[in-house]
Amino acid sequence: MSNSFFIDTTLCTACRACQVACKQWHDLPAEITQNRGTYENPPDVSFNTYKVVRMRENVIDGKLNWLFFPEQCRHCIEPPCQDIAGDENAIYTDAKTGAVIYTANTKYLNFEEIREACPYNIPRKSSDGTMAKCDMCNDRVHNGLLPACVQTCPTGAMNFGKREEMLDLAQKRLLEVKAKYPKAELIDPNDVRVIYLVAYEPTLYHEFAIASNAAFDMTRQVALRKIFRPLKNIASHLF
Amino acid sequence: MNVTRREFIQITGATAAGLAVSGLGIGLSPVKSHAQMLKTKYAKETSTICCYCAVGCGAIVHTSQKGDGRVINIEGDPDHIINKGSLCPKGAALSQLTENSNRLLDPMYRAPYAKEWKPVSWEWALSEIAKRIQETRDSSFQHKNEKKQIVNRAMGIASVGSAAMDNEECWIYQALMRALGLVYIEHQARI
Repeated sequence: MSNSFFIDTTLCTACRACQVACKQWHDLPAEITQNRGTYENPPDVSFNTYKVVRMRENVIDGKLNWLFFPEQCRHCIEPPCQDIAGDENAIYTDAKTGAVIYTANTKYLNFEEIREACPYNIPRKSSDGTMAKCDMCNDRVHNGLLPACVQTCPTGAMNFGKREEMLDLAQKRLLEVKAKYPKAELIDPNDVRVIYLVAYEPTLYHEFAIASNAAFDMTRQVALRKIFRPLKNIASHLF
Repeated sequence: MNVTRREFIQITGATAAGLAVSGLGIGLSPVKSHAQMLKTKYAKETSTICCYCAVGCGAIVHTSQKGDGRVINIEGDPDHIINKGSLCPKGAALSQLTENSNRLLDPMYRAPYAKEWKPVSWEWALSEIAKRIQETRDSSFQHKNEKKQIVNRAMGIASVGSAAMDNEECWIYQALMRALGLVYIEHQARI
């Protein structure tokens, strides 16, 4: 039984407590940034920043809307990054929590391949090639605590729990929200463990809010690895 | 072979095959599941109230039990009635009140007309502050007012207090200021 996040962007006020709590728990350093004319800061996720609240100004039906999107790794149910890597010592899914984990061995992988494979453009690397991203606070979750971002959220936009419960909550909130925002939808709920509820078209929130439709070149090797992965996992238990 | 990234995460046929096999009694037990140790496991826990605003959120401070007693982590207290574990971005950064390389560790002094601040010793700073307070207090002290009533007040000093002080700290501060004879005492009381 794995876990999922449910992120209700209609409740998000872009206070960025999740961003700060994430840095705080992981002991990650601040980044030196410049004023880019937006409160969205730092400008992008990085090796030292696993979470960024995206803020977009859009005119919808003649009215200015400020759309907030707390971006992080979606912990895909079938993670393309893990398939492309093909090395469980570098990228693996923690079967107990559902967290997709990057280890120090990611520095031996081809970064461009991994980043290209991610439908949400999340993986980033340090100067020595080691990759990092949100780890679902796997240490906290294993010890019965909520991820730091979820625990700190003052508005209830961030939720975390058993996948079934989160899916139920997502559907329930979607129905409620639809009364006010008819275009509301859940983003890729069946493919990822971080389910976003958005009030408008996902791409209005962020370019990579919804899985990118851009094509990429999947090698035969990767395709085969993906198709046979569950069998390989079984085999590793038989022998 | 070109697939879109969207299609790629949706290829789940293999998983269905895997489930079918598990029906034969072959366990799909976890390939990898790492129990991880919390960085706060052996830390001392102290509850506190956030110093920033009037909401008064509860927080848990984790400090090292090994020698130095430094702060390891501060997060919202899930049992606190006000915030139930949540903290705003300022509250979530509470640990940086103590654990931040940009903190000043010595008193800083900028002499009149000097352009630069320079670090000074606590001893020098405290005695200098005491000396100057006494000078101002003594020179501006009123024993009696115009009606010859005894007032005993220091008119040359005003206090604009710290918003980050709690109730008990404010009491001590108030007692000190009154003892000096101040009458202009202002405080942006929050918690």
